[in-house]
Amino acid sequence: MLSFRIAARFLKSSPGQSALIMAGIAVGIATQIFVGSLITSLQADLIDAAVGSSPHVTLRAEDGGAISTLFAEDAVETEPLISTAVAVRTLSAIYAEGEDSVPLSLTGGDAAGLDTIYKLSDKLTEGSYRLAENDALVGERFADEYGVGAGDQLDLLLPDGSVASYSVSGVFDLGQGTANERFVFVDTASAADALGMSDNECSAVQIQLTDPFASSEVAPRLADAFGVEAVDWQAENEELLSGLAAQSGSSAMIQVFVLVAVALGIASTLAISAVQKTRQIGILKAIGMGDAASGRIFLWQAALLGAGGTLGGIGLGYALIWGFSFAPVPFSVRPEPTFIALSAVIGITVALLSSVIPARSTSRLDPIEVIQNG
Amino acid sequence: MADLLVADSLSKVYGEGDTATHALKGVSFTLAEGEFASIIGQSGSGKSTLLNMIGLLDTPTSGQVLFDGENTTSLGRKGRARVRNSGLGFVFQFHYLLPEFSVWENLTMPAQIAGRSVTAEEKTRTLETLELLGLKGLEKKNANQLSGGQKQRVAIGRALMNQPKLILADEPTGNLDTRNTATVYELFRTINAELGTSFLIVTHDRAVAQQTDRILEVSDGELVQDVRNDYAVGR
Ligand SMILES: Nc1ncnc2c1ncn2[C@@H]1O[C@H](COP(=O)(O)OP(=O)(O)OP(=O)(O)O)[C@@H](O)[C@H]1O
Ligand SMILES: [Mg+2]
Repeated sequence: MLSFRIAARFLKSSPGQSALIMAGIAVGIATQIFVGSLITSLQADLIDAAVGSSPHVTLRAEDGGAISTLFAEDAVETEPLISTAVAVRTLSAIYAEGEDSVPLSLTGGDAAGLDTIYKLSDKLTEGSYRLAENDALVGERFADEYGVGAGDQLDLLLPDGSVASYSVSGVFDLGQGTANERFVFVDTASAADALGMSDNECSAVQIQLTDPFASSEVAPRLADAFGVEAVDWQAENEELLSGLAAQSGSSAMIQVFVLVAVALGIASTLAISAVQKTRQIGILKAIGMGDAASGRIFLWQAALLGAGGTLGGIGLGYALIWGFSFAPVPFSVRPEPTFIALSAVIGITVALLSSVIPARSTSRLDPIEVIQNG
Repeated sequence: MADLLVADSLSKVYGEGDTATHALKGVSFTLAEGEFASIIGQSGSGKSTLLNMIGLLDTPTSGQVLFDGENTTSLGRKGRARVRNSGLGFVFQFHYLLPEFSVWENLTMPAQIAGRSVTAEEKTRTLETLELLGLKGLEKKNANQLSGGQKQRVAIGRALMNQPKLILADEPTGNLDTRNTATVYELFRTINAELGTSFLIVTHDRAVAQQTDRILEVSDGELVQDVRNDYAVGR
């Protein structure tokens, strides 16, 4: 541990230089943590907006006919990655007002089940979340455009030409224009009537997973297991996904460059420090310190600088994230613990790696070089 | 008395070809335990080169150094470092203290390098050494807060700490005034008498050499004279 004590003393004896290099590491690590957390949070936000309140996998009959409602329960039992599965009855309808008409997409299901996917109870702007017989929930945009509100009657033209009468129980805002205009949620019984389905028949099972990105692996499994078509959200959102991938790529690149800058900073400072301390190393060797032990002095210096800088960087990173919470942007940045742990490991590793050259030259130094040159 | 040191045909060539310098040309001599000897010679004659070979700080081009019955030529870097730490003590013209460390830490460094934690016995000895060197009360001071003479005395103290059998001194008083010079040689004599430590002191000053028991004279890389000095002041 003598090497460690000498390293600590060397650092302490030039506090300005030590503080400067630690600040350099800290800024690098803080940038890493901030950019990493920013991108991760931003992406989580985008993904949440895209699929947070919509199905990740939808099971339906290949011929467009009915499937068993039991599939919903069976799917939950067989697939641990599923967080919720809801049997729904979907149909299209037309709302007409004078000359104007708008095609609507009706989803019938039980209120509690639908809520697990669409989180409608949190997204009501008017009325209450209720889907009793002949209740309907309409989108905000539709409500505005056609002057429909909670308590109003809603007559819809069904594909078979009949008219179904609903009473609007609430108005929702799903945060998406199309959904807010075209989506209508209705009670499950009226949808069954309209589609001519029995109690244990539905048109689709809508599923959410604990990890939305597991859909590409879960969907084919479910399709096989139940002999149905399984629609994967990822297959239908390729543009969004490639955008996210590009974003991750550029974030990774920024981080690599930051790391390289940090590594170069530590390496050059340690190299300077090794030169500054050549004399001391020579003296220590003259009075019997071994090559390995003297080389370790610089490894320890690097480890101390790396650890100090990384700790400071984590603090600074949190401060940046906290400061960002006051910025006028529509999403918040959450510190990512795994990412922070990774940055810490990388920070210290980079510090240790950049000490290899000074440590090696130190262990090769001959005491006579110092003694002879005075 | 037993042989402590055998220098056997030590040669050292610096550089090669036309620019080669033959700094040592086959120097042989033997030093017994407890001897108090000096090496004199003109500037550039090879005194430091010889001392550095003996001190295992440098390797001879040919020849051997036997120290305390061990042939050091066959030792690796590690083995040589061990002998430097435990068997030898160095005092140079320049003090070579570690400026980042206190007097106490500089003194105990050889023990720490040996991998020992400083024992109670060593603490007592360090205190005694401080007393002997007239450095009492300075142990907490930083090494670079001392005067030149104090630094040199700390360096001597450090050379003594591992109780080496041989102390090698290269112009140890080169940077000191007359009074400090006298103090240092008195110290060497005391240590030699009390602990039986052997001394080999390089100097270009005949007056200093006259105070030692044996004078080895080097000229142009060769040992030209090796005389006992029965008139040494300290005798
Ligand atoms: N590293 C080196 N490279 C080349 N030549 C060297 C080296 N060290 C010493 N010499 C040469 O070897 C010879 C002996 O040098 P050394 O230092 O042993 O002399 P010295 O007797 O100690 O002299 P001084 O009294 O001035 O200290 C000199 O000619 C010197 O130039
Ligand atoms: Mg010399």
